[in-house]
Amino acid sequence: MSDQAQPSGIDLRAVGPHLLLPLAIVGVVVLFALLQPAMLSGDNIVNIMKQSSLFFFVACAQLVVIITRGFDLSVGANVSLVSVASSMVMTAVMPLYGTGLGIALGVGTGLLIGLVIGAVNGVLVAYGRINPFIVTLATMSIFTGVATTISGGFPIFNLPEAFSYAFNQMIILMLPIPLIIAGLVAYAMHFSLTRTVHGRVLYVLGDSNEVAHVAGRRVKEHLFLAYVTSGVLASIAGLLMTAQTGSGEPNLGTSLVLNSIAAAVIGGASLRGGSGGISAPIYGALLIVCLSIGMNLQQINGSLQPVVIGAILIFGAALDAIKTKAR
Amino acid sequence: MSSTSTKPGASVAPGTSAAPLIKIAHLDKSYGAFKALEDMQFELRAGEVHVLFGENGAGKSTLIQIICGVQSFDAGTYSLFGENVTSLTPAVAHQKGVSIVFQEFSLIPDMTVEENLFLGHEMTSGGRLAKGAMRAKVQTVLDRLGFHLDPAARVSTLRRAHQQMVEIAKALLWDCKVLILDEPTASLTDQEAAQLFDIIEQLRSEGLGIVYVSHRMPEITRLADRVTVLRDGKFIATVNKADTSEKELVQLMTGRTFDEFFPHIKRDVGDTVLSFENVTLQSGLAENISFEVKRGEVLGFAGLAGCGKSEVLRAAFGLEVVTTGRITANGVSLDKHAPRKALSNRICYFPSDRATEGLAMHQSLISNSSIAALDDPVFSRGKTLLNRRAEKGFTEKMIDKLKIRTPGLNAKADQLSGGNKQKLMIARGLSREFDVFLFDEPTVGVDIQAKLEIYDVIKALTEEGKAVVIASSELAEVMHMSHRVIVMREGKIVGELDGEAVTEDALLSHFFDHGDEETQGQHAP
Repeated sequence: MSDQAQPSGIDLRAVGPHLLLPLAIVGVVVLFALLQPAMLSGDNIVNIMKQSSLFFFVACAQLVVIITRGFDLSVGANVSLVSVASSMVMTAVMPLYGTGLGIALGVGTGLLIGLVIGAVNGVLVAYGRINPFIVTLATMSIFTGVATTISGGFPIFNLPEAFSYAFNQMIILMLPIPLIIAGLVAYAMHFSLTRTVHGRVLYVLGDSNEVAHVAGRRVKEHLFLAYVTSGVLASIAGLLMTAQTGSGEPNLGTSLVLNSIAAAVIGGASLRGGSGGISAPIYGALLIVCLSIGMNLQQINGSLQPVVIGAILIFGAALDAIKTKAR
Repeated sequence: MSSTSTKPGASVAPGTSAAPLIKIAHLDKSYGAFKALEDMQFELRAGEVHVLFGENGAGKSTLIQIICGVQSFDAGTYSLFGENVTSLTPAVAHQKGVSIVFQEFSLIPDMTVEENLFLGHEMTSGGRLAKGAMRAKVQTVLDRLGFHLDPAARVSTLRRAHQQMVEIAKALLWDCKVLILDEPTASLTDQEAAQLFDIIEQLRSEGLGIVYVSHRMPEITRLADRVTVLRDGKFIATVNKADTSEKELVQLMTGRTFDEFFPHIKRDVGDTVLSFENVTLQSGLAENISFEVKRGEVLGFAGLAGCGKSEVLRAAFGLEVVTTGRITANGVSLDKHAPRKALSNRICYFPSDRATEGLAMHQSLISNSSIAALDDPVFSRGKTLLNRRAEKGFTEKMIDKLKIRTPGLNAKADQLSGGNKQKLMIARGLSREFDVFLFDEPTVGVDIQAKLEIYDVIKALTEEGKAVVIASSELAEVMHMSHRVIVMREGKIVGELDGEAVTEDALLSHFFDHGDEETQGQHAP
């Protein structure tokens, strides 16, 4: 009898979360479509795809460290700094060496900055054993300051149109380029989390550092690598968002910190670490972007959006708490 | 023992004449279609120690959770202090006088003893914490229990045994009539346990009804007035301890006969695979340790908790910093030792504390069983890509071989019972080739059946020619399982016994300093 009971219990638990979020996302889209038919227009759907793709990268950056029971509050600062620095490089290099090299160096600079920010966070958290909240709060402040300082606080215009085209407007097989890049990265992340030793160790150390250490894993290296991954993912977001706005913006990432955590958590990552797969940032990004775009169409006051995001974060964290308690 | 004089202040007269404190009849509890309890009977009288006895999964935990209001029940009656209970919450149960000491610690490590005791029940005066009153109350209860604990000490600085004392003090801080103890001696040494038994006897004489969950036979013999045996969620029998025997209890519990507890392990001594030369640890918990571990024999480490035996095992696995001396495995000197190095030098360690060092509780069985072997070509390609089929196959094999009872391969470690958790950890030791197996408290918090199975694993490993080291606070275990026993006291090796010389008296005489006031008399059989 008990044997029969188990599968049905597991099925519910396994299927429930997989269905709940897609249903919620569809629900949000349908709701706003009823209020504003424009929600389902071709342009708007492309817009949703693009925005969620951009947002996916920061949510994914957050997921990688949330799995290790950490945080990355510096994702927003990362995006801002990447935006201004890569724009500055592009605009400086282009007149001298041409557009192609300008874009290449700009993109390279952006990724390198992401790598460096991630490495700084990683060294301090993994090797310095400092609380990730404090570390990334500090680096958030530092790199936001750097972004404002080097740009003088002003946007950097005159980016090459080829950059915006290549990283935002291009459409391949009816899919916008950000979505294609997001898809590739999502697949790579999924593979890394589920099929590699590194991914496995991240979950175990998120559950307990000591267990991973006693099991002979190189805890510090894996933790370090998680922060580097997070930094690089955030810098990709920075580049794509810059391509979208067409200018380097020193405050491009300001609102991303809370949103990225909210997306990862509502998508199913647990703040206690050790859980959450690639579906978390995908669903989380879609849900938050659909809500946000829907609210824009409905002309709901923009200042209200942070209220909704905050509520979503609390709701996601509460769901997580209930799930744990039910066990 | 069972009938004692009433002490002043005891509100209920002990004995059988008064109405029972707790009476449970025909109680059912299901989780889905899984019947956790079926037609359960239980009765607790004032002034008795009533032992709940059964294998893990027999329903003991569910029953005590129902008693203290953590779980509800589906059918049947539960009467508490003469009143029928339908919906009980832990808070109401606590208020009525039901206190429980859980097996898993509920203390907050970064708070002091005092703060933990009052957690959620802080005393206030005029909106401020009444620190003086609380301190006085703590001191009263500690004195009453005879615990020498500093109320201002942080819990994280206390040893597990002392943390256990805090748990008990917490339960007794407020007036209670029913005290539930869930395997209270799991982390205590014999000596500390003896102290706890005195306290339990004192509480019984004060008229408390005590529900005592345990599968340790000596404790039952010593403490129980009555024993209720559970098996597979069913009530089997309630017997008076005076009318029963160890044999009968085990038969009732397992449904099978009980021949010999400890297996006979063949000794066939081979090469030395691990040696310590004058090793002193930075923590100061072990000094000048020298010994050799050889293939084909079981080496035991005995001594009181805190004597350093567990630290010696940890040092062998690279979990302690060695200041002087040398640890050598198969001729390789293990400088800058670390778990990773130990594993690659074919040393395997099973920590005593499964929850913090042993298992990743929220990860799957598969993840837990292969985690220490992910560098092995069997489980990964190039130490990077997982071979998930091999992991799954290995885990299935281990579930079968070690008889791990689990809802499924993807169940989380946390969903297993204590014995099955321990077996899952042991599975990890079989995930790659090892020469040395270090067991720190191999059967803590494990039921009798699992215990026997773990002993069988130890026997099989030894007879395969592996070297096995056991550190155990359970005297009988270390005595019967080991071919050779090293006794430690206060961080030093004080004696080594071999073969026939390993006897209880010989061991105990080494346990205590001879000039010490501790006597061995209390251990007389």
